[in-house]
Amino acid sequence: MKWGMVIDLEKCTGCQACSVACGMENNRLPGEHWQDVLFYTEGEYPSAQLKWFPRPCMHCENPSCMHVCPTGATYKTEDGAVLINWDKCIGCKYCMIACPYGVRFYTDEKPLVEPNVKTVFKSDGEHSWSPPWRMPATREDWKRGVGVQPNDVVSKCTFCYHRISKAPKGVADLDPNDPNLRDYTPACVVTCAPGARYFGDLDNPESEVSKLIAKKRGVRLLDHLGNKPQVYYLAGEAGAVPSSRANNKS
Amino acid sequence: MSMPLPEQQAQMSIPLLLKTLLADGESPSMTRVLKISVGVLVISLAIVFFALLTQGHAAFNTNSYGITWGLPISTYVFLVLTSTGLTFIASLSMLFGFEEFYPVAKRCVWLAVVTLVAGFTVLALELGHPFRMLWAVPLGMQYVSPMFWMGVFYTLYLVLLLAKFWRINAGDWDSPLSRALGIASFVSVVIAHSTLGLLFGMMAMRPMWYDAMLPVYFLITAALSGAAFTVAFTYLSYDIDRKKMAPALREMAFGRALPNVFATLIGITILAAVSRTITGLWSNLDGLQVYAHLVRSPLFQAEFWLGLVLPFFLMLSPTLQRQRKMQVTAAVLVMVSLFIGRLEFLVVGQMLPVFKGSWIPGFIEYTPSFTEWMLVVVAVALTFLLYAAGDKLFRLDEYPGPKGEEMAPQGAGAR
Repeated sequence: MKWGMVIDLEKCTGCQACSVACGMENNRLPGEHWQDVLFYTEGEYPSAQLKWFPRPCMHCENPSCMHVCPTGATYKTEDGAVLINWDKCIGCKYCMIACPYGVRFYTDEKPLVEPNVKTVFKSDGEHSWSPPWRMPATREDWKRGVGVQPNDVVSKCTFCYHRISKAPKGVADLDPNDPNLRDYTPACVVTCAPGARYFGDLDNPESEVSKLIAKKRGVRLLDHLGNKPQVYYLAGEAGAVPSSRANNKS
Repeated sequence: MSMPLPEQQAQMSIPLLLKTLLADGESPSMTRVLKISVGVLVISLAIVFFALLTQGHAAFNTNSYGITWGLPISTYVFLVLTSTGLTFIASLSMLFGFEEFYPVAKRCVWLAVVTLVAGFTVLALELGHPFRMLWAVPLGMQYVSPMFWMGVFYTLYLVLLLAKFWRINAGDWDSPLSRALGIASFVSVVIAHSTLGLLFGMMAMRPMWYDAMLPVYFLITAALSGAAFTVAFTYLSYDIDRKKMAPALREMAFGRALPNVFATLIGITILAAVSRTITGLWSNLDGLQVYAHLVRSPLFQAEFWLGLVLPFFLMLSPTLQRQRKMQVTAAVLVMVSLFIGRLEFLVVGQMLPVFKGSWIPGFIEYTPSFTEWMLVVVAVALTFLLYAAGDKLFRLDEYPGPKGEEMAPQGAGAR
């Protein structure tokens, strides 16, 4: 069993609904984008292009963030998700250095927007802030980095582990169009209006995700680094996966 | 072998300790240093604690959009590598037989303890959960993490260094135990600083750091840092006046061995800096474009020309290299240059945004916050405070006499 995601770049419209759904589902602060759609430009007028690129955590097969963690707070589950145990995280931020995809966030930072949401919805002493909307307390799971995190730890996308871990055993795909599986599917996949996201078992050759990767030649981001992401992109004719990490290539 | 401590140290009560610390004694300047550093430490610590208790680590200008490790971490790297270098300088005489360096050996060992403690202090204040670290790291046993090994070996090094200082402070320079402690602390710090080098050097996703030889680069620059601290702090203890020095130390200060070692280390550091920079500028690899930005920075130019090239020529010139003012100038310039160098290494290595799209179109800018600077002040004040206290409590100018003879006054019965 190895959960993985496929994102079809030909279908993605860059609407950011996934980022919003993720923020609502996981109670993220403004700027703390576990899931983001990155916008960038290429070329110059009159041949300039606006491009975008959806970027969740890659939940790598060979995660460098996990290997550098001095306490074992970052770990890999048997079903292939990379999670953080907030009770073990010492806030050294080495994982943020070691992640090639920039998907990790430290809790204690200057606010990105004013007013500071953390001072408006003050901490209850346990959590770093008290969002007015919040997932049920029974779903919160600090050992898996699910919920509103405490202060001074690192957080990141969990593949909505509170959802996928409850999925029926042996299921090949979590199809948001199937009413029986919808509640177990990651929020970004459920909300994606053009249906650009697919979620399923990469170990199962019969799964939709495995078939899509094979048929449409799925590629992984910065594959040369050897982290082996479990998020695949279908580039098609819409363009390619960014070959470098930054906009500034000069 | 058990050694009685010098009487006044063994029986020191708190009032006596304070009296000893505040007495002018042989070096009134050290009393001044002690008083000023206590004041500065109290104020800077108060500011840091106030910021951390009210704002938490949001008081730092580091963030998830790029510069994750900032000034406090570079200060930590600077201090622990200085400690490493000081152990190298102390080992010249104690392990490798360069006896002309004996007069500074004890001072170097103490200063190595001091800089290491200051470095750990800064790191603890930077970490999100320093107390959790105390159990989570040993229990986690993450043997694939370079940070785990850095913790193991720097802790081991601190213990061995303290044990070594305890022996030489008791006048025991050359017993089997003392020698074993010297060898063990040297080996542990070579491994510790290598793990620190690999902590950066193994990061293939950060091309500016990715370098298997980074431990060697750290070794050279650590040795240089240690040499600069040795010169600066030794002169500080004698009010930059050689007449106050013991004969052997004066001979060393007047001699050519010290400036020659210093010049050699600066020279190798210049070579390493140039080779790193040229490689960075020449290569097209994504991630190394930061070097073009780096060489345009005035700070880099100052660090290179004023902080390395100028002291290199000062220490190379037969007429200038033995002048005390030139030696002190060179040492201070090198210390500042290496401090800037550590910050640059750390920040420039993170400057290129990692999949941040139009959130950050260019390079990531970083200016340390007031709280971060205050952490540096804490480290500097702590270094001066502990050094001055050591200078007063222990005879840091002690060294073993010629072979076969007993030690200087307090070392009676050493062998």
